[in-house]
Amino acid sequence: MSVPDYMQCAEDHQTLLVVVQPVGIVSEENFFRIYKRISSVSQINVRDSQRVLYIRYRHHYPPENNEWGDFQTHRKVVGLITVTDCFSAKDWPQTFEKFHVQKEIYGSTLYDSRLFVFGLQGEIAEQPRTDVAFYPNYDDCESVEKRIEDFIESLFIVLESKRLDRATDKSGDKIPLLCVPFEKKDFVGLDTDSRHYKKRCQGRMRKHVGDLCLQAGMLQDSLVHYHMSVELLRSVNDFLWLGAALEGLCSASVIYHYPGGTGGKTGARRLQGSSLPTDAGNRHRPGAQEVLIDPGALTTNGINADTSTEIGRAKNCLSPEDIIDKYKEAISYYSKYKNAGVIELEACVKAVRVLAIQKRSMEASEFLQNAVYINLRQLSEEEKIQRYSILSELYELIGFHRKSAFFKRVAAMQCVAPSIAEPGWRACYKLLLETLPGYSLSLDPKDFNKGTHRGWAAVQMRLLHELVYASRRMGNPALSVRHLSFLLQTMLDFLSDQEKKDVTQSLESYTSKCPGTMELLSLPDGLNLPPVPFTKLPIVRRVKLLNLPASLRPQKMKSLLGQNMSTKSPFIYSPIIAHNRGEERSKKIDFQWVQGDVCEVQLMVYNPMPFELRVENMGLLTSGVEFESLPAALSLPAESGLYPVTLVGVPRSTGQITINGYHTTVFGVFSDCLLDSLPGIKTNGSTVEVIPALPRLQISTSLPRSARTLQPASGDEISTNVSVQLYNGETQQLDIKLENIGTEPLEKLEVTSKILTTKEKLYGDFLSWKLEETLSQFPLQPGKTATFTVNIKVKLDFSCQENLLQDLNDDGISISGLPLSSPFRQVVKPRVESKPVNPPESSKAGDFSHVKTLEAILNFKYSGGPGHVDGYYRNLSLGIHVEAEPSVFFTRVSTLPATSTRQCHLLLDVFNSTEHELTISAKNNEELILHAGECQRMAIQVDKFNFESFPESPAERTQFTNPKQLEEERQETRGLEINSKLDIHWNIPSLKRHGEASVEGILNQLVLEHLQLAPLQWDVLVDGQLCDCDVVADCRVGDPIPLEVRLTNWSKRNVGPFALTVIPYQDYQNGVHNYELQDAITFVGSNTFYIDSVRPTENSVCLGALLFLYTGDFYLNIKFHEDTTSKELPLSWFCLPSIHIRAQGPDLQA
Amino acid sequence: MAVCIAVIAKENYPLYIRSIPAEHELKFHYTVHTSLDVVDEKVSAMGKALVDQRELYLGLLYPTEDYKVYGYVTNSKVKFVMVVDSSNTALRDNEIRSMFRKLHNSYTDVMCNPFYNPGDRIHSRAFDNMVTSMMVQVC
Repeated sequence: MSVPDYMQCAEDHQTLLVVVQPVGIVSEENFFRIYKRISSVSQINVRDSQRVLYIRYRHHYPPENNEWGDFQTHRKVVGLITVTDCFSAKDWPQTFEKFHVQKEIYGSTLYDSRLFVFGLQGEIAEQPRTDVAFYPNYDDCESVEKRIEDFIESLFIVLESKRLDRATDKSGDKIPLLCVPFEKKDFVGLDTDSRHYKKRCQGRMRKHVGDLCLQAGMLQDSLVHYHMSVELLRSVNDFLWLGAALEGLCSASVIYHYPGGTGGKTGARRLQGSSLPTDAGNRHRPGAQEVLIDPGALTTNGINADTSTEIGRAKNCLSPEDIIDKYKEAISYYSKYKNAGVIELEACVKAVRVLAIQKRSMEASEFLQNAVYINLRQLSEEEKIQRYSILSELYELIGFHRKSAFFKRVAAMQCVAPSIAEPGWRACYKLLLETLPGYSLSLDPKDFNKGTHRGWAAVQMRLLHELVYASRRMGNPALSVRHLSFLLQTMLDFLSDQEKKDVTQSLESYTSKCPGTMELLSLPDGLNLPPVPFTKLPIVRRVKLLNLPASLRPQKMKSLLGQNMSTKSPFIYSPIIAHNRGEERSKKIDFQWVQGDVCEVQLMVYNPMPFELRVENMGLLTSGVEFESLPAALSLPAESGLYPVTLVGVPRSTGQITINGYHTTVFGVFSDCLLDSLPGIKTNGSTVEVIPALPRLQISTSLPRSARTLQPASGDEISTNVSVQLYNGETQQLDIKLENIGTEPLEKLEVTSKILTTKEKLYGDFLSWKLEETLSQFPLQPGKTATFTVNIKVKLDFSCQENLLQDLNDDGISISGLPLSSPFRQVVKPRVESKPVNPPESSKAGDFSHVKTLEAILNFKYSGGPGHVDGYYRNLSLGIHVEAEPSVFFTRVSTLPATSTRQCHLLLDVFNSTEHELTISAKNNEELILHAGECQRMAIQVDKFNFESFPESPAERTQFTNPKQLEEERQETRGLEINSKLDIHWNIPSLKRHGEASVEGILNQLVLEHLQLAPLQWDVLVDGQLCDCDVVADCRVGDPIPLEVRLTNWSKRNVGPFALTVIPYQDYQNGVHNYELQDAITFVGSNTFYIDSVRPTENSVCLGALLFLYTGDFYLNIKFHEDTTSKELPLSWFCLPSIHIRAQGPDLQA
Repeated sequence: MAVCIAVIAKENYPLYIRSIPAEHELKFHYTVHTSLDVVDEKVSAMGKALVDQRELYLGLLYPTEDYKVYGYVTNSKVKFVMVVDSSNTALRDNEIRSMFRKLHNSYTDVMCNPFYNPGDRIHSRAFDNMVTSMMVQVC
């Protein structure tokens, strides 16, 4: 007895063992077809009684196990069915001989046997024989089942007779001693007459009868016999048989308590095999009734549910707890005999199955633990595998999944033990897969995405390594790549650096033959291996969809936006709408991508590996829009920190695009990583709108590019920067080449400029352009170029060094407007000399040479193509950076009255702050040459200005509500006017550069007042002729000359009344004025005029007359009477020209 | 003395495992891992008992040829498993019990560390030292 049957369970004690074997050459397929049909007849209701017979079929049974048949009768082969092929009659005798040989093997125990012959036809087949059945072929054998039933009934008859024979054999006849094979020699020479020996014989026989009763379906009888046997054997210390008796008792009780069976699947199948489910509950009763009630009465009455039967059963049957105790006892007896190892092992297995049903896992595990230690003889590798598998199954049965997995793994390892010549990698792999649940390992990487790692990493890793190895040896590289990828992906945190290296190296070597894919791998047994995306190689921490660069960013035209809004809701603002939009925004991004333009997604990745990670073919996975992904390859340094990676692609159609994830190829494994399944990822949304294509504008300029970038406040980005250095007042022409480098025609262009806030006061237009010429070339087809010209004019005030002006104002002369000794007073005032003027502010004084910068942005709004139809445009900004160097500036300004009241001289101290010689010229002056750093005074005669006549639109007035602002504005317009009148130019011949010099900045209130025409306009007419300083009025001596003084009031209020006196005098041109002219001139009428108050815009005229008595040059000085002059009016308002009259003698010739 | 000491989280993954013959670490991993079956079984059997009256010490989980495996489970279902050389007969149940208590105290200290995240692997020098002392100490 050396081969354990691990599948045994307690119910097997009631079965009859029938061996079905092929004889001769029978194909395995045919044999098992027949075997299947035979074994379907596993239980039989014996006719004339309600007893049920159970049959256990085996196609293989070791004869040495048969030798233990007396010990436990279910181990005894009682029936033999042989199946054979025989095609000709002449083979028949030989076949039949073989059948007899086969019978010999189990001959000692067989009750009956059958031979099934297939293929033979003819006369032999027609002989009616009980032990041989002939069938023409394997398909045509309907009566097989019937035959088997007959056969079993014949077995039953033998069994029943044996039972009755032994059971009634209570007489004084000598009871033979039943013994197991290894005992035989022990009893040699033993006194067979001793009481002890007799008792032993009796006990063993009782036990044997109990077995037979159990097999014959008489459960209650068997219980009685077992009880008696136990008592007998206990008294003689026949431990092995005592154990067997106890086990028999247990088996019978188990059969009673658990009619569903304890053997798992086999038990269940048996239950299904029975004709009626209720049978299962009833089938044990007949035996019990036969014990307690007269058997005859039973069969005739058919009483089933008699209460007395229940009582009887309860008496003999063991309770569930007792079953386990008795099993324990039995096993402890068995364990005394080394040769009964198999019996002990099987008893353990049976007990475990019972305990599993009772859900007493702890005790079951103790039985199993014991079973593990039962040392059988040297087992073959196959037996070891079987043993471990069974242990695993049993542990599974009692819910010890980890133990189960452990033994299954041991079994798997046993399949490929080095001692085996042909390792069964396939079996090993299969067994290993079965261990996965025990290690709480699923092969779906999704299960590992959330939360902490589940399960025991160390053992899981080991298992995965084994799976990889087994699948590789199986010759399925795709599987090993999948497993290895899984190992790397899920166990990354637990791998040591060296392990990481090893795993990746082997992965790379595997993938070189079979690249890892994203396809589901299906195993033959139905298990699916989901793909393993490497979401941790590299780890992506953040995904950010990037807006297009500012120059390519599409913008929605406002008017169209308004339309869209209006279609949505009649309200300009509604909190409900705002709320909805806010929700949308959480998923949707508020910028757009443009069809046909390269779009970027930035990933923050890091490499968790201790070596450089090469990621190839990294691209985006998108949906919603046709998208051309442009994969990138990157190499991440070992254990890098967060590392930005930009993935790019081009949307080829319009609509909503969703970035679902990215794909990579790492170590030869393709991965599609979806963002949804990435843990701990930060994203700003993954859906963005793609709008129709727009043209692309590229600009190039005639000016050099600037390295410096402007930092505009309002978030615009500047695509190009140009810089230029200009002298103040210079004008530079900037040629901008506009090229359409997109694929859509450029239809619309708008240009605006914005000067960045600067502290400097800027005069005039900094940038000016004419767009019409450029627009005439539109629409601009792709690849075409247009030009656009912008004038840059720098007019800054460099003279505004306050300290200097202050200083200059202090001397008072220049402002007062009093004549200076020399209008061309030359002041050589180099910069250095100006410094000591105000030493503490010397640094500020140094600002003379300081370069001022001006920055402006030129915005090109353009659109075209389908994007234009949808109302989008693009904005391209050109940053212009101008460094303005001072050219000339005016260090001081003053006025000098000219001879005419309508004119005056403007005296300007011009300072050349360049390092070059320059010439300066005003409108009507000759050129003045200034050396570097030289300061000269120049005088320009200018007509006075009538500022009041400048148009002042009412809109402007309201715009500047602040009176101060209004005043500034007015001053500015005045400055502009003056400047245009003066038209001062400078020219640097050596550099061939020229520009304007502006006086605007330096004109202050006082100077302006001098330059302003008085609001009271005085006109003096002599002889009806308007006189001014330089005009000489001719008259004749003796003729009265009418003198008219006209006052026109341009001011805004009433003026007057005034009193004027005309004082004539003669100028001797030597500084002497002769006022004693009473005898030379007489007034006709009064020499004093009175003017009443004059209302605004009205005029008043006084008339008088003069009579010159002598010839000569006379001057008339018109003076105001001081008391009449309104003190509040400025003096300069009363500036009347002095009149020069030349009185000539009468024309004598006439 | 103990040859392997393991702390296992409620979710049955190891928080800490240390064994003396370091080369057989995997073997102990398997031993401790399979012992969890018994722990589970014992805990679920105890589940009905009142929580505060429950005995934390689970006793011998199972003997193997060379080792004995003892278990202990805290009220928060954190398991301590100790593998002891079965040749060491001097070790009584009471000693094992006190060792577990020591282990529990030390584990509590680890948990009190504000910088320790429950569920992370234990990297504590104090705990290491305590475990080491339990492994070498001769009873």
